[in-house]
Amino acid sequence: MLRIESVLTTRAVVTALPQTHKSNNSTLWFQSVPRSYKLCRNPLLLNNSKRKASYSSSNSSRMTSFTTRAAVQPLKNADELIDSVETFIFDCDGVIWKGDKLIEGVPETLDMLRSKGKRLVFVTNNSTKSRKQYGKKFETLGLDVSEEEIFASSFAAAAYLKSIDFPKDKKVYVIGEDGILKELELAGFQYLGGPEDGDKKIELKPGFLMEHDHDVGAVVVGFDRYFNYYKIQYGTLCIRENPGCLFIATNRDAVTHLTDAQEWAGGGSMVGALGGSTQREPLVVGKPSTFMMDYLANKFGIAKSQICMVGDRLDTDILFGQNGGCKTLLVLSGVTSLETLQSPNNSIQPDFYTNKISDFLSLKAAAV
Amino acid sequence: MNSCQVLSRENLTHLLDSVDTFLFDCDGVIWKGDNLIDGVSETLDFLRSKGKKLVFVTNNSLKSRAQYALKFHFLGISVSPDEIFSSSFAAAMYLKLYNFPPQNKVYVIGGDGILEELRLAGFNAFGGPADANKTVDLKQNIFFEHDKSVGAVVVGIDPNINYYKLQYGTLCIRENPGCLFIATNRDAVGHMTAWQEWPGAGCMVAAMCGSTQKEPIVVGKPSTFMMDFLLQKFNVSCSKMCMVGDRLDTDILFGQNAGCKTLLVLSGCTTQSALQDPSNNIHPDFYTSKISDMLDLLEA
Repeated sequence: MLRIESVLTTRAVVTALPQTHKSNNSTLWFQSVPRSYKLCRNPLLLNNSKRKASYSSSNSSRMTSFTTRAAVQPLKNADELIDSVETFIFDCDGVIWKGDKLIEGVPETLDMLRSKGKRLVFVTNNSTKSRKQYGKKFETLGLDVSEEEIFASSFAAAAYLKSIDFPKDKKVYVIGEDGILKELELAGFQYLGGPEDGDKKIELKPGFLMEHDHDVGAVVVGFDRYFNYYKIQYGTLCIRENPGCLFIATNRDAVTHLTDAQEWAGGGSMVGALGGSTQREPLVVGKPSTFMMDYLANKFGIAKSQICMVGDRLDTDILFGQNGGCKTLLVLSGVTSLETLQSPNNSIQPDFYTNKISDFLSLKAAAV
Repeated sequence: MNSCQVLSRENLTHLLDSVDTFLFDCDGVIWKGDNLIDGVSETLDFLRSKGKKLVFVTNNSLKSRAQYALKFHFLGISVSPDEIFSSSFAAAMYLKLYNFPPQNKVYVIGGDGILEELRLAGFNAFGGPADANKTVDLKQNIFFEHDKSVGAVVVGIDPNINYYKLQYGTLCIRENPGCLFIATNRDAVGHMTAWQEWPGAGCMVAAMCGSTQKEPIVVGKPSTFMMDFLLQKFNVSCSKMCMVGDRLDTDILFGQNAGCKTLLVLSGCTTQSALQDPSNNIHPDFYTSKISDMLDLLEA
């Protein structure tokens, strides 16, 4: 009987790491990225290495280095939780809406929280729309949410580049959809790529040479339904050949509920592809990386202990909250079932769980 | 400690005396894109005249063995399909050896080479280039169907990769109980054209790992599957074998994993500085510029 091994190639896992670069024109932006690719205590990287650990296992168990927590409790005293925090961060898919349908009781719940003076923030890994486009979706569903309260991973990518003073004379190559392009444009960055490269075909003929722009200083990768070989090669050439070129991922979700009825291959697939060809790990700006948490804590001047993260996905939403050091509430109105939460294979334990966010109203009523 | 020696007349003579079989990688060793590398024809003739067995082991799954034999033929080299081990062939052999039920289907993300080898081995394979132009229209209420009888998804290099294929393969692996996830190989990049490198199977395989959160069974180099298979087929022993390749993390590692001698050539994707870089810890037994150095060294 032949001995079969799934021997993977040994490869140097090269992790590019930029340090958050405060405005200081004495060093070039890419010189803040150590070329020696050593690991350092960068919050983006801490989360990436946790993420890597989870990707190397073939089963669904997740590694966590957090102290052992007690088993998660169903939410009983909603008032206590509401009174203990100042800000609620909500994931969108599976928490506020499912596909294009609002989940029951959401408008009333958000109104109640606002009336109690709570700040509401909406954080989604979905990079296909810009904040403005999400604002329209909220409006269409009859919810009173402003653009400034929405943080999509498309926005996060642009905000990240801003935070490191990415030079305006450098370009960004985008493997992803409109949302990313719009946010980059708003932030004043030059970009190439996006959906229109979806029509470009490759013919691997003798003598063919693909050119690429040597001014590309960052490649941003997110969910891309127009993904193709041209884009992969373009991004690969930029990352491999342009000195200091950043490799940024909006998120690494394996699957996503693009439609209500089933799962669809998510951004994790496109990011995986670029990781496979460049043999580099990306900087992840979306959940569970704490970049967005740090950004909005800083922007709104809030302490992490004053925040409760509400989401439906353990390995993005809840891990995001835990990585950020805030309270976490899992809702079962999205992709995670009670069975999955309580499975011995699951090691991510939120502080509380409940069916849906409108339980804030019903539990509240019961407690009176 | 870097124990790698540059190939010399002396160590080459010793190598030729102690080795019966030479395994050659193709891209970067025999040819680059569609161009034959200098002196290859004469070198292979020389080795055959010395009674050496030649085997060609390639991770490139775009062609089948028969299609590779044709490529050799067009380049003026006489090689029989039986002497060629492509990763496309390896995928089919893996399924055969593990008694993959013929009533189960195989979905292919890759080229014709994989489809051809699977069909030759008697499997019901579909996908491949036929799905190159399929798009996904994400309208409301659309439902993406997939065949529930797919029992294996084989992923190799695919210049026609698209979202349809990624989604199809993802659904099969995630939802069909026991569905195998097989990778022909995981090379990050390869010389698909002579002038530059292009994303390899490693890219498509990693895309599928990203969406399924599973690791594949790898049948190509450096996995020893192909080595075990050809050792049995040709009844040769590792100690009398030499692997000649241009890539450290596939060819040389493949040879080392199996315990045979290894010779790196610099006519492909690896430069001398990459070989000697302190961060490299894969050291072949020997290295030289290209395989025709064998002739030059012996003539001198």
